Amino acid sequence: MIITMQNTETNEISDKIDELHEQRGEAALGRVLTLIIMTNEQHLEQVLLWANEASREHPCRVIAIAPSERPASADETTRTYLDAEVRFGADAGAGEVIVLRPRGGLTHHLDTLTIPLLVPDAPIVAWWPDEAPSDPSAHLVGAMANSRITDAIMSENPMQTLRDLQRNWAPQNVDMSWTRLTVWRAMLASLLDQPPHLPITSVKVTGPKDFLPLLMLAQWLHLRLQVPVTIETEDDATAVTGVYMTRADGVLSLERRPADKGIATVSVPGQQAQHTPVPTRSMQECLSEELGRLYPDEIYGEVLKSMPLD
Amino acid sequence: MTSTLNYEDATSSSEPLQTWTNPLRDARDLRLPRIAGPCSIVIFGVTGDLSRKKLLPAIYDLANRGLLPPEFGLTGFARRDWSEEQFRNFVKTNVQEHCRTQFREDTWAQLAEGIRFVRGTFEDAEAFERLSNTVSELDRDRGTRGNHAFYMSVPPRDFPLVAKQLAHCGLAKSEGDAWRRVIIEKPFGHDLASAKRLDDVIAEVFDEDSVFRIDHYLGKETVQNLLALRFANTMYEPIWNNNYVDHVQITMAEDIGVGGRAGYYDGIGAARDVIQNHLLQLMALTAMEEPLSFKACDLTAEKTKLLSAIRLPKDLRAHTARGQYAAGWQGSREVVGYLEEQGIDPDSTTETYAAIRLDVDTRRWAGVPFYLRTGKRLGRRVTEIAVVFKRAPHLPFESTATQELGKNALVIRVQPYEGVTMRFGAKVPGVTSMEVRDVSMDFNYGSSFTESSPEAYERLILDVLLGDPPLFPTTREVDLSWRILDPIEEFWSTLGTPEPYRAGTWGPAQADEMLARDGHRWRKP
Repeated sequence: MIITMQNTETNEISDKIDELHEQRGEAALGRVLTLIIMTNEQHLEQVLLWANEASREHPCRVIAIAPSERPASADETTRTYLDAEVRFGADAGAGEVIVLRPRGGLTHHLDTLTIPLLVPDAPIVAWWPDEAPSDPSAHLVGAMANSRITDAIMSENPMQTLRDLQRNWAPQNVDMSWTRLTVWRAMLASLLDQPPHLPITSVKVTGPKDFLPLLMLAQWLHLRLQVPVTIETEDDATAVTGVYMTRADGVLSLERRPADKGIATVSVPGQQAQHTPVPTRSMQECLSEELGRLYPDEIYGEVLKSMPLD
Repeated sequence: MTSTLNYEDATSSSEPLQTWTNPLRDARDLRLPRIAGPCSIVIFGVTGDLSRKKLLPAIYDLANRGLLPPEFGLTGFARRDWSEEQFRNFVKTNVQEHCRTQFREDTWAQLAEGIRFVRGTFEDAEAFERLSNTVSELDRDRGTRGNHAFYMSVPPRDFPLVAKQLAHCGLAKSEGDAWRRVIIEKPFGHDLASAKRLDDVIAEVFDEDSVFRIDHYLGKETVQNLLALRFANTMYEPIWNNNYVDHVQITMAEDIGVGGRAGYYDGIGAARDVIQNHLLQLMALTAMEEPLSFKACDLTAEKTKLLSAIRLPKDLRAHTARGQYAAGWQGSREVVGYLEEQGIDPDSTTETYAAIRLDVDTRRWAGVPFYLRTGKRLGRRVTEIAVVFKRAPHLPFESTATQELGKNALVIRVQPYEGVTMRFGAKVPGVTSMEVRDVSMDFNYGSSFTESSPEAYERLILDVLLGDPPLFPTTREVDLSWRILDPIEEFWSTLGTPEPYRAGTWGPAQADEMLARDGHRWRKP
């Protein structure tokens, strides 16, 4: 169910939500957080699809802000600065979705625009699925959020965005490039859990050129293992394709080539290579992981701050 | 194109230290899930209900969540004359039917590569030789590195035989770093003596540390949430004692009858089947002191202390109750009584309903009775822990104002509708009179957190593979539980036929009388 509310006000929206809750016999108290998404009209539907999927695991209220592109018509006498939509049931996930389309001066007051619509006394997560602000913690919505998620590789200039994020790092920030690595990192860690526990002497990682997750993975391995890490780029790669760790008894490797085939190969010296399914992570899985942890990710902070990006 | 990051400061690691720590792990890195190391599971009784509906799907779900290693094997041991291919199809069908995560062909194909089948009976030493070969072959081809878990999804009478065969063919012992673990399901004996005999048999073959007694109730999210509720919050601890708690009711009610378990159930009964394990464990978790940590040894220490402090009522006749369901209507279905069930001795004195009162001799709980009840063919399927509080010492209202006010209660709903309910008094709206009535405040696990929480068996199987068993009862706990139940069973055995109760009700009249004697009444959950 989508209820379109043109030329509306925030109190009308919250009344509408209360009314719908009452009609449908639901309680808003079950929502564990508010997810505020800063996006635009082109990406809106796709982004909401991801958010709705993730909300099934973390029931939340989703507020998506897409600046209005509707030209004002002359005969509108009751014009406000805001168009909105409220989505429930099949058009939302486990919570409700509020789409806000502010225009004019209102676009500069996104914090006070959303405050009346937040889930009371619950954490706020801010998400920029495409263009990220250069300093998320200084952004009006970012400043009140408990967690700020950016996605540099989806921005116009990923490398520049990452540099900005590095310069303006704050403990509650995280970039999806890091989230995409969790499965790789977990598999590498469990690879090293197994004896013999010989020291790693050097590491090579392979993947696409200037691919942010690959750079982060290399930096993480360097920080943790304190050994040189070589980055080798492959022209046809679409994601990280391999990690090769050299130690006295040979090379331990984890490969997934091509990435979209979703089969990883683990090779350990003296053992037969084993295969295991590792599908590329979907955006919804990454978002779900982020919504599941709201504490500052210190490891990410250490990796980002020490990355050689210039 | 190759580029090397410039790391002048990079130093290569020195010799491995005495206690090796994985450089890629960091306590602050909470994102990284723990993935089991290379290993395999051998399931005895793989064609049984439990294996088909729970174990096989749970193993698939673990694989699908990426929590199993690439070096993983699964071996089925059964009497059927199957080829490996037929067994794989059998596993696939059951996984598809019962798995909780999405069924992906990729995951399946990889899992299937490590699936083996060994045909044989438990008496057949040669079959165990074949099993031993299959397992070594997994070590060679799948890199399972000698780590193997044996899941005994078989009746307890077969444990000794299987254990002996495993010892005989050399599978029970491992070399070097490799481990062997054995997982057994309840019942852990039917009284203290038989439990000890069972232990002796298993202890001969496996070390105590490698024996895992599965109680799937303890793998449920809600049971773990009980620990969070009690020890992560401040508002419950101050009232969690005899100053405020009036009594505690722990209920596990089933709406089904004895069904296909007739052969096992008759002669065992409700108390041995449920109270000895599930309910006493729930009671221990509800009443124990705060553990030093959530490590297995610390949790076990507190549970053991609590179980040791449990005291039986002096007058067992007054403070226990037993019943047997008679024919009736379960909701809208007509059902037969226990004595008419197929496979049940028509003169059986086995109880299908049991209720007992227990006291805890500690400063915290002195004078607070714990009532445990379980039964089949009761009103509906529900498991809950209800902590009922004392009435306010003084009510500054007209007595008429509070006549409808019951006692405050905190109810932990284990299943279904996992969550927590609080019952307290609230004013009935109206200007003319002051009237206070009971209302409920609800926390529903499902609506605040994931809709698809992992199945209890997933958690428990992973715990076994990781060797981290906080939720498994130890031998000592099992022994203590039998020590509590044995005198009651002995007393009951002198009583003859249990009191019949109509199917679909909340049990026999003597259970209500038992609580009425103490001035309480059962909740109708």
